[in-house]
Amino acid sequence: MPAIREGGTSQLDRGAPPAWMRAAASIAPRLLGSLGIVATVTLVCFHAVRVNAITAGFAYLVAVLAVATWWGLIEATAASIAAMLCFNYFFLPPLLTFTIADPQNWVALLAFLATSIIASQVSEHAKERTREALARQRDMERLYALSRSILLTHTEEDVARQIARQIAQVFDFRAGALYDRATGATYNTGPEDLTGFDERLRESAVKGTLFRDSLTNTVVTAIRLGGEPIGALALRGLLPSDTVLQALANLAAIGLEKARAQEAASHAQAAQQSQELKSTLLDAMAHEFKTPLTSMKAATSALLSDVVSAPASRRELITVVDEEIDHLNRLVTEAIRMARIEAGDLQLTRAPCAVEPMLKEVLGSMESVIAGRSVNLQVAPDLPYVDVDAELVELVIRQLVDNALRYSPSATPLTVRAGRTAGGVVVGIRDHGPGIAPEDRARVFEKYYRGSSSSKARGTGLGLAIAREIARAHGGEVWLETSSPQGSEFCLSLPVAQAEDRA
Amino acid sequence: MSLGRILVVDDEPQIRRVMRTTLVANGYEMAEARSGEDALEMLRNERYDLVLLDVNMPGLGGIATCRTIRTERPGLDLAIIMLTVRNDEKDKVEALDAGADDYVTKPYGTPELLARIRAALRRTPLVQEARPKRLKLDGVEIDFETHLVTTRGKQAHLTVKELDLLSYLVAHPNKVLTRRELLQSVWGPDYGDESEYLRVFTNRLRKKIEPNPSKPRYLLTEPWTGYRFHLPEQD
Repeated sequence: MPAIREGGTSQLDRGAPPAWMRAAASIAPRLLGSLGIVATVTLVCFHAVRVNAITAGFAYLVAVLAVATWWGLIEATAASIAAMLCFNYFFLPPLLTFTIADPQNWVALLAFLATSIIASQVSEHAKERTREALARQRDMERLYALSRSILLTHTEEDVARQIARQIAQVFDFRAGALYDRATGATYNTGPEDLTGFDERLRESAVKGTLFRDSLTNTVVTAIRLGGEPIGALALRGLLPSDTVLQALANLAAIGLEKARAQEAASHAQAAQQSQELKSTLLDAMAHEFKTPLTSMKAATSALLSDVVSAPASRRELITVVDEEIDHLNRLVTEAIRMARIEAGDLQLTRAPCAVEPMLKEVLGSMESVIAGRSVNLQVAPDLPYVDVDAELVELVIRQLVDNALRYSPSATPLTVRAGRTAGGVVVGIRDHGPGIAPEDRARVFEKYYRGSSSSKARGTGLGLAIAREIARAHGGEVWLETSSPQGSEFCLSLPVAQAEDRA
Repeated sequence: MSLGRILVVDDEPQIRRVMRTTLVANGYEMAEARSGEDALEMLRNERYDLVLLDVNMPGLGGIATCRTIRTERPGLDLAIIMLTVRNDEKDKVEALDAGADDYVTKPYGTPELLARIRAALRRTPLVQEARPKRLKLDGVEIDFETHLVTTRGKQAHLTVKELDLLSYLVAHPNKVLTRRELLQSVWGPDYGDESEYLRVFTNRLRKKIEPNPSKPRYLLTEPWTGYRFHLPEQD
């Protein structure tokens, strides 16, 4: 059993009487009306005013013309015959009979009938023209509305679906279906179903054939671009003329092609951007790894070539190498961990941790990067333990401190503070740098994104994106609290450990 | 006694540490700057013989710092060596164009860096004796004592290496000098293949001494071999 859709016109159709009965029902009152008008004229002319035959004839003619202008040919013809009969009966001698004595009056009567029929036909013809012009104007308006909406299609939704829906909406079709040959997908719209026409759509999209089904008022036409079919359109309802149908198909073709061109352009742009990002990333990585290697190579080559002989100096160089091996080790570990997180492999080993020792640990390990800059540590008293993967959270804090150091002048201090809020423990890292440009603020958390003014700054550009991922995996968050020309503060929120967890 | 005063400009503290140890152990006086901005400030107040300048620094990068030093202090008797991680022709030329005298790629060996420093600080006594004190050509006047070049009322300063190269060329006028000979005589015995140095330096010299640098009259390129200084007959 076919599904019955709500709101459709099909149910109305199903319960309605046949077409001829409906036509008769609509014309009957108007027929009665025209007869009424003739009767009124007769009444006025015969009883009320008592005019002669010529005046009465003109009055009937005016009435017939009025009926032709208001209603149509059928009503006017009925009115002419009625008027002729009344004219004969009431005004042509012998009066009050249908007999006509004078042959001259026969001629008058026929002339009267012919005049009224021709006049009503002319009037009907003019009305028909007006109707056609109005219909054409409406078609043009609809096509214009459709072309506008096709030009304004947005990319969030499938463009083919939008086109199908707009065609059905603008032209009030009961059902519409658009088949896109490039994707092989069919998009149905409207209150009725066109599922039986899939085969026809495909055929039309390949061979370019036109198919009409007058029983269901359905048409299937090809969508062509440069003569080549690129899809097909099926429509059901009050079908428009062939010209309009052609225009519809052309608009659909333009819409599909426009979407395709846009897609190709955005693909090309994305590919180029990712290429640029990769090369930026590689540059940054090269610098990150070459920095400790440079110190190590400079120190070992000095030791090997005996350009440095004093034991204290030699020891200093060996110390640098030792520290830089640790630095390199940390870089490699972080790079591997970030690659894992990048690949979606983020596993937390949570344990209750005290915040202050963790912050001190991070700052201690960054001594060589901090390089004597003043770092203010402000930790609220009685801070609860946090339930975190300490290694990963240290990575986040290190990243935030590292950023703050990098993006602020070397003479300015840094503040690291930790406090309790409703949502957990919040760690804030504040610098006195130039701040982040408003247009960059939302984007600093994007992968590989670098501020527009920091193209020379180092680091992988993965930092804040990864930091945010780690924080969110904990149920926390990393955000930019403030940024002004006086400095920026990034914050990290961490979940509080339950009391019984406390070691 | 110090062999020279060197300013190390690098944002990496560990690299500065290694440099401090090795430079001091080799008889140089050493000062440090963490950024190009700091270096410019120090150069305004103190005199140095040589700057070791890292190219890749946040803020004012090495290239911009080098250019600023050369335009701000044109008469300064100062050698500049650039340090960078990249080793392609384009980067070298960029560094030399900015006014550097030499270029070392990271990671570098300390003996190599020390050799470059010695070469950059080296004066060629022979050249200084053989050249005239001043040279007057058509439209150009070069004063070798004050490093000053005057072309049609416009004055320009020569850097030390530019002066050395020009002195060597002027001391051997109207004679084809090979690239290797020029590099070894002016930069030092360890050099010989760095033809891009000569390309950049002759360009720099032509901009200062030639009335029309694109159509040189004095400093001429000898295709495939080297350079020649055309000195018109003077009575």
